Amino acid sequence: MTIPAAVARSLVSWPVTEFDALCANDSELAALRTDIREFVVADREEFGWRPAVDSWLARWDAGFSSRLGDAGFVGMTIPTEYGGRGLGHLHRYVVTEELLAQGAPVAAHWFSDRQFAPSLLSYGTDEQRRVMLPIIAAGRMYAAIGMSEHGAGSDLAAVKTRANRVDGGWTLSGTKVWTSGAHLAHRIVVLARTSPLDPDHRHAGFSQFIVEMDSPGITVDPIVQMGGEHHFNEVTFDEVFVADADVLGSIGDGWRQVTSELGFERSGPERILSTVTLILETVRALPDDVDDGTAAAVGDLVARMISLRQLSISVARALAGGEDAATRAALVKDLGTRFEQDSVESAADLLEHVDPLLPESARLWELLTAARLHSPLFTLRGGTNEVLRGVVARGMGVR
Amino acid sequence: MSDLEQLVDELGRRSLESRLGRRGFPDAFDGDLWRNLEETGLSRLTSAEDAGPTESAIVLSGLAKHAGAVPIAETDLLATWLAGRAGIAVPAEGPLTAVLADAEVHDGRITGTAHGVPWPRSAAVVVAARTADGLYVAVVDNPPTEDSHNLAGEPRGSFAFDLPADDVGTLDRHVADEFTRRGAWARCVQVIGTLDATRDLTVAHTTERVQFGRPLSKFQAVQHSLAEMAGETERARAATALAVAAAADFGFGSAATDYAVTVAKVAVGRAVGSVTTIAHQLHGAIGVTVEHRLWLFTMRARSWVDEFGSTAHYARRLGRMVLTADDPWRVVVSCPEPR
Repeated sequence: MTIPAAVARSLVSWPVTEFDALCANDSELAALRTDIREFVVADREEFGWRPAVDSWLARWDAGFSSRLGDAGFVGMTIPTEYGGRGLGHLHRYVVTEELLAQGAPVAAHWFSDRQFAPSLLSYGTDEQRRVMLPIIAAGRMYAAIGMSEHGAGSDLAAVKTRANRVDGGWTLSGTKVWTSGAHLAHRIVVLARTSPLDPDHRHAGFSQFIVEMDSPGITVDPIVQMGGEHHFNEVTFDEVFVADADVLGSIGDGWRQVTSELGFERSGPERILSTVTLILETVRALPDDVDDGTAAAVGDLVARMISLRQLSISVARALAGGEDAATRAALVKDLGTRFEQDSVESAADLLEHVDPLLPESARLWELLTAARLHSPLFTLRGGTNEVLRGVVARGMGVR
Repeated sequence: MSDLEQLVDELGRRSLESRLGRRGFPDAFDGDLWRNLEETGLSRLTSAEDAGPTESAIVLSGLAKHAGAVPIAETDLLATWLAGRAGIAVPAEGPLTAVLADAEVHDGRITGTAHGVPWPRSAAVVVAARTADGLYVAVVDNPPTEDSHNLAGEPRGSFAFDLPADDVGTLDRHVADEFTRRGAWARCVQVIGTLDATRDLTVAHTTERVQFGRPLSKFQAVQHSLAEMAGETERARAATALAVAAAADFGFGSAATDYAVTVAKVAVGRAVGSVTTIAHQLHGAIGVTVEHRLWLFTMRARSWVDEFGSTAHYARRLGRMVLTADDPWRVVVSCPEPR
């Protein structure tokens, strides 16, 4: 008789140590890590997708997202009453990093899982949660996040999209840019002004709206990246009606709502692991007997990754415990994304030592090419590193 | 701050303040600080008191933060531990130091040369002589030392030894690996203390120093350099915290501690270059003078990262660990079993 792996694991008593906790590997998390690994390997073997770099932006696969949702790995922090698993942020952390490490195609459900579900849990009405959270947890709802505009990049408070009060709701007018996945999304969360700019209180007067992408008045135009990939969009709103029931949170509270949970987004594994498939596959392809200098280059690269991961997990643990870790979260994003960029050229140097006749060699060059095309984005998206260093400096008391 | 942290901070601060302006090359052993450490039971915390690596880390980094001129890691984590393992007696009081050296056995004598011995004239030296077949441990008093010092002025010395083979403690050769690991662990923890001091001094200086009509810290370029410094320090701290947890959970002899110390030694080693360079840049030329206290910390950090194996050495080790692993990702996520 064979015992199913999941049952066998539950029979093992896991020693809980601080070391394991710092590695996000204590008891339940270690079991979860094994579960998601096995799921991803089996799914890849059955469906034949290939590991990608930057897969959270670049690999949209509706089938994968729904299978992942069916297996209970999407919306893990959503309470069970709304169709989730009611687990903690560290559970989500472990699943996310294992998905990224295997370059799994997670883009379709990414923003629903990372931003939209937590926003609904913090600010949504019961009706909004009841309607949307179960579909998110099923991996079948794709959300876009409408923040940046032509005149509002790093300076998000310069957003000009306006929501005007009308009978029973609001009408939205304005243009959002760099909106990932808007051409395939079901809903978009829009940050808009609901009162005119007050130069003395620039962050006041914003609100958030949940808008169906098939609403009349929405136009989506592609913004094609160098290299030809299409993930970003320009989304134009022309007098788009949004019912009162689709306001997210409170009118006038938009700025606080979009900034209050940035810590999770800034310190997550995706700020370290956008190039991890390139790194791991290159290391796997290297001969065991490389020279000392090459071994040291591998060691340096991996030490940076491990130490950043340790920092990232320490922030995740602090945030999960309700501590304020905003400064350290900004640090993780600054350091992590610079590591991602540097790692591309480190991997390129290591590729010199990979036998070009190996079957995986061509594949590694493909990953390198993709990484080079995506690399400039790493330190831009979700707040430029220059802005983040300002946040850190403020935390140090010098700003 | 815990009681222990407060106590260490107070003793360290008192030592630093009382000796300002009198530090030089070589730096002098701080007898007052040492007496305070003995009276409070901190001098042999893990060997004589009921304490482990977690408490030891607080003492080591706390004293390093005040550039305490005492062989605290050497006494407790290295000399007393190694003598205990080898079953040889060490003086019950006073500072100790320790060194690992390669040696040969001829005609009943163990001979070799010990290099880079910390504080050799201020402490009894526990010599760990490593030969092809074993590790021989003996206490040497007042060896004929050739004096030197590191970048921070801390005394280092070398001496030739010639020990009777029938009067030494004998251990398995592999105990030498744990000796090196303990030393590397201690230096990582100590460097974190010096990096914290370096950051505090740099924030204070850039806040006070006015140029072009405003404090340096109001310039964005300066703020970004400070942020860079904080980032490298926190990354090094996170890696070191894992090494401290590994030693506390599994002991210094474990594979988990070997893994975590290897990672920390690389992370800390790479951080030191960046943090100390920025600190000196932001201090301007005043930071390189003997009268300013900055160098007490930056030069300790620079010296300590080279001890018990260089950064490049540990980078190679980690690289080999990753290259020979079944799955390199498992080495990223944790120490692969068995630990």
